[in-house]
Amino acid sequence: MVPLKYNLRSLRARKVGSLMTVLGVGMVVWASIFAFGLYAGLEHTLTVSVNPLDVIVLRQGSTAETASAVSESAARDILALPGIATDAEGRPLAAPELVAIGYLPRRDADGNTNVTVRGVVPASAALRDGLTIVEGRNFTPGVREAIVSRALSERFKGLKLGESFKVQDAMFQVVGYFQAHGAAAESEIWTDQRVLGQVTNRTGSVSAVQLRAASADDRQRLIQRITADEQIGLKAITEKEYFAEQAEQSQFLRIIGQIIAFFLTIGAMFAVANTMYGAVASRAREIGTLRALGFGRASVLASFLFESLVLCLLGAIVGCLGALALGDIRTGTMGGAFTEVVFAFNFGPRVLLSGALLAIAMGLLGGLAPAVRAVRMRVVNALREV
Amino acid sequence: MIKFLPLVVRNVARNKIRSLFTCLSIAVSLFLVVMLYSFLTVQDEMTVASRVYNRLIVMNVQGLAGNVPIAYVDRIRKLDGVRSATSFSWFGGKYRDEKIVFGQFGVDPQSVADVYEDYVVPPDQLQAFQADRTGCVVGALLAKNKGWSIGDKVPLKGDIYPVNLELTVRGIYDGSSSIDREMLWFHFDYLDESLKAARSTMAGNAGIVVLRAKSAEAMNRLTEDIELAFASSDAPVKALTEKQFQAEFMSYMGDVRAFIRYTSIAIVIALLCVAANTMAMALRERTREIALFKAIGFSQANVLSLFLGEAVVIGALGGVVGCLGAKLLFATVDFSKMLPGLGWLYVPWSTALAGVALAASIGLVSGVVPAWRAAHLSVLEGLRKVV
Repeated sequence: MVPLKYNLRSLRARKVGSLMTVLGVGMVVWASIFAFGLYAGLEHTLTVSVNPLDVIVLRQGSTAETASAVSESAARDILALPGIATDAEGRPLAAPELVAIGYLPRRDADGNTNVTVRGVVPASAALRDGLTIVEGRNFTPGVREAIVSRALSERFKGLKLGESFKVQDAMFQVVGYFQAHGAAAESEIWTDQRVLGQVTNRTGSVSAVQLRAASADDRQRLIQRITADEQIGLKAITEKEYFAEQAEQSQFLRIIGQIIAFFLTIGAMFAVANTMYGAVASRAREIGTLRALGFGRASVLASFLFESLVLCLLGAIVGCLGALALGDIRTGTMGGAFTEVVFAFNFGPRVLLSGALLAIAMGLLGGLAPAVRAVRMRVVNALREV
Repeated sequence: MIKFLPLVVRNVARNKIRSLFTCLSIAVSLFLVVMLYSFLTVQDEMTVASRVYNRLIVMNVQGLAGNVPIAYVDRIRKLDGVRSATSFSWFGGKYRDEKIVFGQFGVDPQSVADVYEDYVVPPDQLQAFQADRTGCVVGALLAKNKGWSIGDKVPLKGDIYPVNLELTVRGIYDGSSSIDREMLWFHFDYLDESLKAARSTMAGNAGIVVLRAKSAEAMNRLTEDIELAFASSDAPVKALTEKQFQAEFMSYMGDVRAFIRYTSIAIVIALLCVAANTMAMALRERTREIALFKAIGFSQANVLSLFLGEAVVIGALGGVVGCLGAKLLFATVDFSKMLPGLGWLYVPWSTALAGVALAASIGLVSGVVPAWRAAHLSVLEGLRKVV
């Protein structure tokens, strides 16, 4: 094996060329991570802290709560079903919830956008693991008050603590911030179910029933029982399935990310190949010397591939650091329910690793042809080169 | 300058692999940029192209999720300056097992063809559509993707609405590439009667109303008249031009536009590095030669322009291949099957040519430092240097 130090020093000897390549690869890795991070962030929001025992009951045929309706009598019947988990006081962990769509002005841009307004009952918070009030207080039942996530308050006017916003014609005041580990609930405004029902003229029915089964077996039994009852025309699915379906609506974000990464990786491959061809051409004598010293073809090939790989991995580091330097960027897009889903870009290990894998692909594929050329040189000719 | 052109071309062709790879790197990356930007420009173009039809979109002040009573359509029709108007109710049903929903709208079959005059339906097909309560008219692109022809059944499973529709294709509309050819129109009454039969409270909602004004001048006045006419009703509305409506819809999409710009900027920076590296390598190889040029009387400006010219040629070549390639590819291959909902996407000439210009500028900027160094090379040093 040719000592690795040889390659590292060679890279240092060609400072500007190496730096340019590293930067180029770095930008490409950055752009790919950025694109991947967008979808990963959305997916994370929709899957984080979803309890496998949670079930959502919707109207047969609807895929989103906003388009669903469950009559109050049916909701009462569901709450009385056996197999639902209970809280410390023995009350069932099940919540009939009402979902309305608010139309709020953006804080940082022009225009209004749909925001989910959820009318909840006391059991609702218990059903979202980790939901806590971090500032202010909870809303008072029966009063036009609401709580929101801090992320949402930063995106829309009227949602800061103490401010007021409008749902249809009623003004609600924000009295607290809650936090839910970045889950989908953080894209919602929460208020009292009855108050929301009055304001939106929707009494007599709710949008959906959220419930937690006592065990996996109970969950299956509950799902079967609710779905089998054709009279009420409802369907029960696990919360996991529900959110998977929501994420499905944003599949195009994932596809676009993959298209971006694919083209950029190919583009960067050519650039890396260029740099390595330059390296091989200017070091013909060195290569000849190495061969004359007794290093085999395989060693020289490996050596140049290694050099190319180092270049690209340095680029990957630049790209990953660049992405991490962006910090916690929050954004939002239209979710499956036609309302804004707020989420943070996810630059987690999986996303960074896919960026690094792209860099490895660039290094190996881009470095291959130049490395082969280095190996193919005839020792005598190579030594004769100036 | 021009007399140096052959020299520039020869320099480009000297290290063929390097020039080729640099061009390809630029081409592939700009192919992507042009595609991403087309997404933005085509949407703008569509709204600009539709301006001549003087359409206004009336929606609930509470946004697209709000309610517009169907009775409003008739009231709007009677307003002074309105030529025709139709409901445009989003159904959002599931077709077979498809996850992605295409646009299905409940319309007034008598008015829709006049409101959307640029969406051309053959007269006999339009009549057949008007005569069949469960008939529908579909866009040419949509029909092609789903393999539908006249007479085919299209079952739609309600998602937002608790009813299903059993439609029959009675007509196919077509038109220029700047219209949305992926919609399905059906009789609003069919949906509404089904909802009433199911005792749904969702009956009677027109969704939005699209109207066509008699003239461009009438539009401004109409905007105010409509908002005033319904201001004190249960469902106050606002009237938007198609351009405003587009902006409204983009606002729903969130920050997608900004992300496309960030990504493109990153790509341009990456390409600057790549191209600059190429020119730096060229400079290193030719140090002696440049010194010789200068020794025989080439001025600094001459050498500078030689190098800059080379950088621009390489950049522009990459741009031509990538951007015109994207244009050509979208013109010949149909991607609407692969990219559902993006069937309207094509590469406009303006975007393709802007891409070529961008590529040439990338070349120019990347060549500045190497060219300056070449121009200021000391003749003595250069001649002494052995590569």
